[in-house]
Amino acid sequence: MLHLHLQRGWNHLNENTAACGAKCGFLPNCAPLAAAFVPKQQSANPQYEAKEALARGTLFPGLDLPFMNMVNTPEKLSTPLAELMAIDFVCKEMLLYLDTHADDKEAFELYKKILKLADEAHKRYTARYGPVVPKDMVDVQSFTWIKDPWPWDYTERSMR
Amino acid sequence: MFVYEKKLQYPVKIKNTNPALAKFIISQYGGPDGELGASMRYLSQRFSMPYPELKAILTDIGTEELGHLEMVGAIIHQLTRNMTQEEIIRAGFDTYFVDHTAGVYPQFASGTPWTAATIAVKGDVITDLTEDMGAEQKARTTYDNILRLSDDPDVNNVIRFLREREVVHFQRFGEALRLATEKMDQRNIYAVNPAFDR
Repeated sequence: MLHLHLQRGWNHLNENTAACGAKCGFLPNCAPLAAAFVPKQQSANPQYEAKEALARGTLFPGLDLPFMNMVNTPEKLSTPLAELMAIDFVCKEMLLYLDTHADDKEAFELYKKILKLADEAHKRYTARYGPVVPKDMVDVQSFTWIKDPWPWDYTERSMR
Repeated sequence: MFVYEKKLQYPVKIKNTNPALAKFIISQYGGPDGELGASMRYLSQRFSMPYPELKAILTDIGTEELGHLEMVGAIIHQLTRNMTQEEIIRAGFDTYFVDHTAGVYPQFASGTPWTAATIAVKGDVITDLTEDMGAEQKARTTYDNILRLSDDPDVNNVIRFLREREVVHFQRFGEALRLATEKMDQRNIYAVNPAFDR
């Protein structure tokens, strides 16, 4: 009787696992006692598109757990600066993922592609709007590092 | 070594001056579970960590927290610039204003200055990573509470982003703890402290 009950329990669990997709990890058969246990994220996929990721605060739908189901939408993230922020944010999320998933070769290949896109976006942005890091000034005519606005300066007139 | 990037991680664009909100959001700048403490905690803990994954995750999350400190500072700045004497009095911002004017100072919502007493660096792999998981949850709760109290959509937009980052960091610290315990004595992970007993 007990055996049957357990059997039904496991089947139920497996069905749930199949149904809940990215929000699920897989618990091991026997976890060590007396230590906190967080399931390992199984894959760097699925992912949000870059601007959606920035709006939600994570690249990974499985980790997207908003308070009272209030979420940000990406419409306001269409400025050139927000576009740079979005691609840099994807790089950052992949970096943190890879720190704990260094053996995930597929994720690393994807990371390299994203780094290349971010590098190109960075060059396009700084050529037009000035340096983001001091070394961006390697080819410019004058010392533009000090120019306003600084990141905390916001005026509604600012186009960036 | 750190290189400054002249941009925020996420845009902070607050239209309306509102020192009443700044009064409690300042706690995520220099409060007990704020971003200054987060960055100091992780960037200090990493020195004694024995495994490369742990050095990496503490460095990379600690660095991101410095970016969050800058974002919260930007929120406080934008909420308090252009405030009038009348707004300062009405919001009860006078007790902050008298000491700091419209400057951004790391303190609790209650006015206590930031203190390293709110962070821990125990020098033990399991203890420090478990602390970090708790720290992420405490910061997440603080952001939940800010969302309950604030009705400014420009502010809440940024707070929701910062709050979600706490969830992601909790996951990564959990994974880091698991990677660490897998390298330890499987019959007794508490047999030694790999951060000290080499």
